[in-house]
Amino acid sequence: MEDQTPNRLDMDLVRQKLADKRGPAYWRSLEEIAETPEFQGWLDDEFPHRRTLLEIDRRSLLKYMGASLALAGLAGCRGMELEELKVVPYVKQPEEMVPGKPLFYATAWTLGGVGLGLLVESHEGRPTKIEGNPDHPGSLGATTAQTQAAILSLYDPDRSAMVLNDGDGSTWDAFMDAVAAEFSNQKAVHGAGIRILTEVVVSPTLKAQLDGFLKVYPGARWHQYEPFARDNAFDGANLAFGQPVEAVYHLTKAKVIVSLDSDFLQDGLESVVLARQFAEGRRKLTAEDMNRLYVFESQLTCTGATSDHRWSMKPSSVHAVATALLQSVRSQGAVSPPKELSGADFNAVVQDLLAHRGQAVVIVGDQQPPEVHAIGHALNVALGAVGQTVTYHEPRAAHAVHTGRDLKSLVDDMNAGKVDVLVMLGGNPVFDAPVDYNFGEALKRVSRLRIRYGLYEDETTDACAAVDGGHSWHLPATHFLEQWSDTRGYDGTATVAQPLTAPLYDARSPHQLVAALAGDGAPGHDLMSDGYQIIADHWQSSGHISGDFDKGLAEVLHAGIVPNTTLAPRVVALKTFDAAPPSTTGFEVVLRPDPNLHDGRFNNNGWLMELPRPMTQLVWDNAAIISLKDAETLGVQRGDVVQVTVGKQTLAIPAFPQPGHPVGSVLIHTGFGRTKTGSVGMPTQHQSLMGFDLYAKTVGVDSYVLKTSGAAAYVTGATLTKTGQSETLVSTQIHHSMEGRDIVRAGTLAEYLRVPSLNPDKLANPPIVEQGDLDTGVPTETPEQPNIDMYPEEIWTTNLPQWGMTIDLNLCTGCNACITACQAENNIPVVGKTQVMKGREMQWLRIDRYYGGADPDNPSEVLVQPVACVQCEKAPCEPVCPVGATVHSHEGLNQMVYNRCVGTRYCSNNCPYKVRRFNFLDYSNLQFQFTEPATLINKIYKKDGVSLLKMVSNPDVTVRGRGVMEKCSYCVQRINDARIEAKKAGQEIQDGAILTACQQVCPTKTILFGNIADKKSEVFKSRSDERAYRLLEELNTRPRTSHLGKVRNVNPAITAQEGTA
Amino acid sequence: MAENQQLIEGNQTYASLDTVIGDVVLDQRRHKLPWLTTFGIASIFALFVLPLTLAWLLYQGIGVWGNNIPVGWGFPIVNFVWWIGIGHAGTLISAILLLLRQQWRNSINRFAEAMTIFAVMCAGMYPLFHTGRPWVAAYWLLPYPNIMAVWPQFRSPLMWDVFAVSTYFTVSLVFWFLGLVPDFATLRDKATNKFAKYAYAIPAMGWRGSHRHWHRYEQAYLILAGLSTPLVLSVHTIVSYDFAVSIVPGWNVTVFPPYFVAGAVFAGFAMVLLLAIPVRALYGLKDLITMRHIDWMAKIMLTTGLIVFYGYNLEVFYGWFSGEKVETALMQWRFYGPYAWAYWLLIFCNGIAPQILWSPKARRNIPIVWTVSFIVTIGMWLERFVIIPMSLMRNYLPSSDRMFIPTFWDFSMFFGTIGFFIFMMFLFVRFMPSITIFEMKDLLYKLGADKKPQSDAVGAGEAH
Amino acid sequence: MSHAPIAPKIYGMVAEFETPDQLVHAASRAKEFGYTSIDGHSPFPIHGMSEATGFKCNLVPWIFLVGGILGGLTGIALESYVSILDLPLEIGGKPLFSLPSFFPIMYECTILFSALAGAIGMMALNGFPRPYHPIFDCPGFERASQDRFFLAIEADDPLYSEIETRRFLAGLEPINISVVEEEE
Repeated sequence: MEDQTPNRLDMDLVRQKLADKRGPAYWRSLEEIAETPEFQGWLDDEFPHRRTLLEIDRRSLLKYMGASLALAGLAGCRGMELEELKVVPYVKQPEEMVPGKPLFYATAWTLGGVGLGLLVESHEGRPTKIEGNPDHPGSLGATTAQTQAAILSLYDPDRSAMVLNDGDGSTWDAFMDAVAAEFSNQKAVHGAGIRILTEVVVSPTLKAQLDGFLKVYPGARWHQYEPFARDNAFDGANLAFGQPVEAVYHLTKAKVIVSLDSDFLQDGLESVVLARQFAEGRRKLTAEDMNRLYVFESQLTCTGATSDHRWSMKPSSVHAVATALLQSVRSQGAVSPPKELSGADFNAVVQDLLAHRGQAVVIVGDQQPPEVHAIGHALNVALGAVGQTVTYHEPRAAHAVHTGRDLKSLVDDMNAGKVDVLVMLGGNPVFDAPVDYNFGEALKRVSRLRIRYGLYEDETTDACAAVDGGHSWHLPATHFLEQWSDTRGYDGTATVAQPLTAPLYDARSPHQLVAALAGDGAPGHDLMSDGYQIIADHWQSSGHISGDFDKGLAEVLHAGIVPNTTLAPRVVALKTFDAAPPSTTGFEVVLRPDPNLHDGRFNNNGWLMELPRPMTQLVWDNAAIISLKDAETLGVQRGDVVQVTVGKQTLAIPAFPQPGHPVGSVLIHTGFGRTKTGSVGMPTQHQSLMGFDLYAKTVGVDSYVLKTSGAAAYVTGATLTKTGQSETLVSTQIHHSMEGRDIVRAGTLAEYLRVPSLNPDKLANPPIVEQGDLDTGVPTETPEQPNIDMYPEEIWTTNLPQWGMTIDLNLCTGCNACITACQAENNIPVVGKTQVMKGREMQWLRIDRYYGGADPDNPSEVLVQPVACVQCEKAPCEPVCPVGATVHSHEGLNQMVYNRCVGTRYCSNNCPYKVRRFNFLDYSNLQFQFTEPATLINKIYKKDGVSLLKMVSNPDVTVRGRGVMEKCSYCVQRINDARIEAKKAGQEIQDGAILTACQQVCPTKTILFGNIADKKSEVFKSRSDERAYRLLEELNTRPRTSHLGKVRNVNPAITAQEGTA
Repeated sequence: MAENQQLIEGNQTYASLDTVIGDVVLDQRRHKLPWLTTFGIASIFALFVLPLTLAWLLYQGIGVWGNNIPVGWGFPIVNFVWWIGIGHAGTLISAILLLLRQQWRNSINRFAEAMTIFAVMCAGMYPLFHTGRPWVAAYWLLPYPNIMAVWPQFRSPLMWDVFAVSTYFTVSLVFWFLGLVPDFATLRDKATNKFAKYAYAIPAMGWRGSHRHWHRYEQAYLILAGLSTPLVLSVHTIVSYDFAVSIVPGWNVTVFPPYFVAGAVFAGFAMVLLLAIPVRALYGLKDLITMRHIDWMAKIMLTTGLIVFYGYNLEVFYGWFSGEKVETALMQWRFYGPYAWAYWLLIFCNGIAPQILWSPKARRNIPIVWTVSFIVTIGMWLERFVIIPMSLMRNYLPSSDRMFIPTFWDFSMFFGTIGFFIFMMFLFVRFMPSITIFEMKDLLYKLGADKKPQSDAVGAGEAH
Repeated sequence: MSHAPIAPKIYGMVAEFETPDQLVHAASRAKEFGYTSIDGHSPFPIHGMSEATGFKCNLVPWIFLVGGILGGLTGIALESYVSILDLPLEIGGKPLFSLPSFFPIMYECTILFSALAGAIGMMALNGFPRPYHPIFDCPGFERASQDRFFLAIEADDPLYSEIETRRFLAGLEPINISVVEEEE
């Protein structure tokens, strides 16, 4: 090919192309820019009909490109995507950027129709950690586990990296040409053949853009679909009030809370603010101040575990309870108690509600049918809650449509052949649409253009490409940290979200894409339109920002919220509606989004895959969660595969008997069993050698096959049968009983007020109550245990701060956010299902869960207890280390010296809390082995991807190598940072200046950290609380972390039967 | 005297002793098929299985084993303690019995010492490799001034182990070598093959049996024995500290040191019998390792076995008497847990089986003694398995309880070291006098055997 | 029974016996006779030889003792220096000088040093390794390590004389007598 020499190039053409090139411009060769036939030929050589090639080549090739582009992209990273002309080499230091010192930028994230304001930590333009934005009303500084893990998806090497045309590599310009051609035809018919399918749109700008698009193409239609949108809630609101209003709860004012199958403390981004409000009502332990939570639920949830009284029942039975409650409240007294609970108990609940008119609230779970939602609204009206504990607003979503029906109409159009061009902005309908819609089939009728815009190449991408006739395009989407956008928070507060980095891949934001589609489609023009400008224009026209716009916008960006954009409350009038009880037969199947993977969009996120699900502690799999009774009758153990049959649909899935789960119902989480996704989420087969298990089968099964459009909430009439096969389900906790030991202290409020202590010994013989120091208001510290030690008490006398932590079990809901936060902050690797199966999970922080009560089927209480290294003052791990790799600091930290550790693991053996973690393999460098065996082959094949994954690492924390022990360090890097700041300010470290990662993320402020030597500090006060105790203190380890016992606000009228300790 | 007669059987002379013992080494024709086959099998494990396992281990990290959190110590430490235990009989027989003037030791001590050396070699492998990064462990555990200004942490029982085991190995080696010097001289003088002559001349260091040398030699040998006695007791005591010093339920028991030492002797004698019985048959040493020896060793096994069994019962008692919920839970876990079979099998192997040795008939019945020794050897391994992983599987916080499941590589390394041990033992029997010649002559002299009428005393040497 | 009448240098005269008792008896006779530099060679230690020849040497036990003391001191000194002076660390709230934890290593060091010092000292005193010694030239001496017992009267003995000594030895009824030359 020596005939194609560069001097054949038209250099003017090259220069000109470079000149009008915008967005990060990287080119392999001059030929590429000139797009000479030589280059096209070369391109074809590189991607010769890749559809026919092996999957592995294809993916690794994409990743090589991804990685190289990413590295190039990072070189040019800025805190925000500036206008390109202003880009200067890094010779002059940008303002306020100190190398080695992170900067925080306010932005926002949207999930399930709710936005969350965030502050993202950026090291020299490399985002590494997501925190909540304290100024944002929906966050107040806290986040959820999913939010924490979102940062990992940014660096996911499996992300869609380039434009695909019919499965082959292509370019955005080529795409624009195709669109221009097609849309010009559509112009003639006013776009009658165009359909746009989005997820639930919250972004005001995107709404405006799409409306604008529909003006250009009046014939076009815009549909929204999301498998777990708030369809039932809106239908219920329509039923009750005749308008689709959004309920916003104000739990701080609520004294009595009734949850009708709602996991409001853990589910969705709104849980952040709801949990905070709930916790505020439980801080003061007095009969007046402490709120009371009744939960009627169809599965064991964090909310249920936190509740004061919990009744588990089939989802269909919730309707009966709701109806009975409504009637009783209306008729001022218990009538016709539902069969699920005794008349006395029911009456007690009703009386409690009636006694707290205006201070009570009823919350209904999204998976309940519209009728129950309507009843819930009616109850709130009857209880005078409206305006007090709950207010109704116009929906956050751009259009409050029933996405299920919305999708149906689209599918009908497709089947009717009315759709020539289908644009899918995000979502994965082929995977998660109801099976009876058969979206995949319908796609085949989309004759001309099937455009898919998404973060990953997934089932929908393949389905589009699989259709012959017409063309399919896959467009790589930007991660939310790569794009300009905006969203609305729980109460509707708008946030302008700024990017933290330039796109790592050749991706565009949805705003850019829609702008391009709406425009005249001149190739390469609108796609290059600046994402920033689109957002800025919208808000300038919206008029929310007064005064000098640029200045105003800068302030808005800095604050992370747009002032007075909260949604206006709507006045609602209750209509009479009939809420017919649901007819139910056989088993009831509840499909819920996985607590970690949601609807499957986080399927390729290792952190979330390996994060133990709340309550089940299950990792890397979904399962048919059934009651112990049902398991008995079926004769299945954990892991035995059962066949779930609903009508024609069947699903073979391992069973997971779960205490506290109602009889006659199956809970199955969605998002697993993908047929096309990244390497983390792709199922692999079980392997064994000579009877030794090598690699367990991962990861879960696709449960959407049971999702039908008919069932609004849950599927009834299902049958379960035992198949005889069995699979390994891995849960991080195998023993669930405290075996009578003093591990989690719990009691009832009444008892506690009588004898203010939870100490079993004290309760045995009640002591004199210590009077608090009246001057300071600081209670005198509970007497330390006597010094039983052959050595002098104080070895090191120092006036340095002494770090300590308290964990208030009264507030902890077990939502797992702290675990992921710790994982993100401390560079904790993911080890894969096989390793967890062997007992080698690496999370420094774990949440233990214990069941109480005699009846395993229906435990009287469920206790959660976060446990990380408690930093013993007399640490058993230290004297046994032969090389002094774990030693004590003068500030009372039990330090791990990574590069001194030789890996004898004696420290872990001798740790009574078993909080130490060991790198049994080279986990940090073998991140590819999530699902595959660590063979040399895939070591080479995934190396590039790993190098990209490493960019998420926190530069302030060492990445641990193989054979090294590690554990919680109280986020020592943050302590040191605060110390430096204090030194610069020439003062002591202020109380509250240090937030550990777990403390910062916690929605309920369960965790306090600070200097326990300072008698004024919050942590000292909390440490001196009557409920405070040191875990296993009988071992004389002197933990620096204290747990505060749990006090349940039990309704005395029910005590005998439920919720007692 | 009549009793002692049985210590050497047949009409032995100084010369015939040389021949009986020396020819095992010098006369190759004695090494026939059984030797070759056993040696072949052993060398497969020693030269193939073991290196392969270690290579894979170093490439992957100790994740290839079954260890996890909470079971930080699995097979490697089990095997370490097991081997160390086996390594105890040698020095014990040589040292303690020498001090106690037990002449019957002479015919087995050399053999037992060799066993000690090789057993300790096997044992030493484990603590080194169980870190997964021996290149670090090997030199960070030694105290020496370095640029990083870091030192070992002397409060750690593991550090004590390093010193105890290395001291034990060194002293045993010295003791063994000293004992060999005069015999090397004998072989040097006896060897006809020139190469062999040189080979034995070098370690013989020019020994010529001068009475001055014998004088100092005996002083040194006796004192060395005196030193080895507290040493051998201290080593397994310190090994037991690894557990007794910790706060792990089932580990922090004060009975550990004595019953670990007893267990070590128990295991050691079992292993001596296990090997000595076939060797004496294979090489016609029946006259030197007599039924009397076997009988006495069986008695010692019985005694130490009873001490060990007492230890087990004490553990159970402690579990109940302490009133500690955790300890009690652990005991129940041993009795009824998924690994209960290991516990009950242990009770059978070390508690029940040895009782048969009460009967003199059984003690003098080779097959029975050998079988019991075999059972005991297994039992002692089970004891360590019950103590180490099974205790770690249960915790103060039930939430961290986990099962331990060994992997293929756990077993391959274990059998690899067994192969290595047998491999070395065979080389030893093949190239070194497996019975102390000069001490046997001394014994013969003391028994007055040399005064017995002899066919032709002058030519005794050439007669054979 | 043939030996060179004139030799440049004689090591001594060696008599070969058949039993240990003969050797002891011969040795004591030689001592009574007045010989001072006598050396006996036997395949195993014969108690009574040292007394018979009046050989005394109790250095070895002292070497062991000194080695042991040095070892113990080295051990505790090392531990204290490291844990108190050079690398003082707070370990599990234990004092810098925690004797109970230091004892085992001190103990092992004692034994190690003592054993090595003793063994090496003994070898040194015996002048080992010594690959060559004139007496190896004595005919049949290879049996000195097997089943023969040799008595050597060295040439540097004042009473040594070719004739007298031979006569004296002959009186002891050895199997044979030979004069051993020293190689140049």
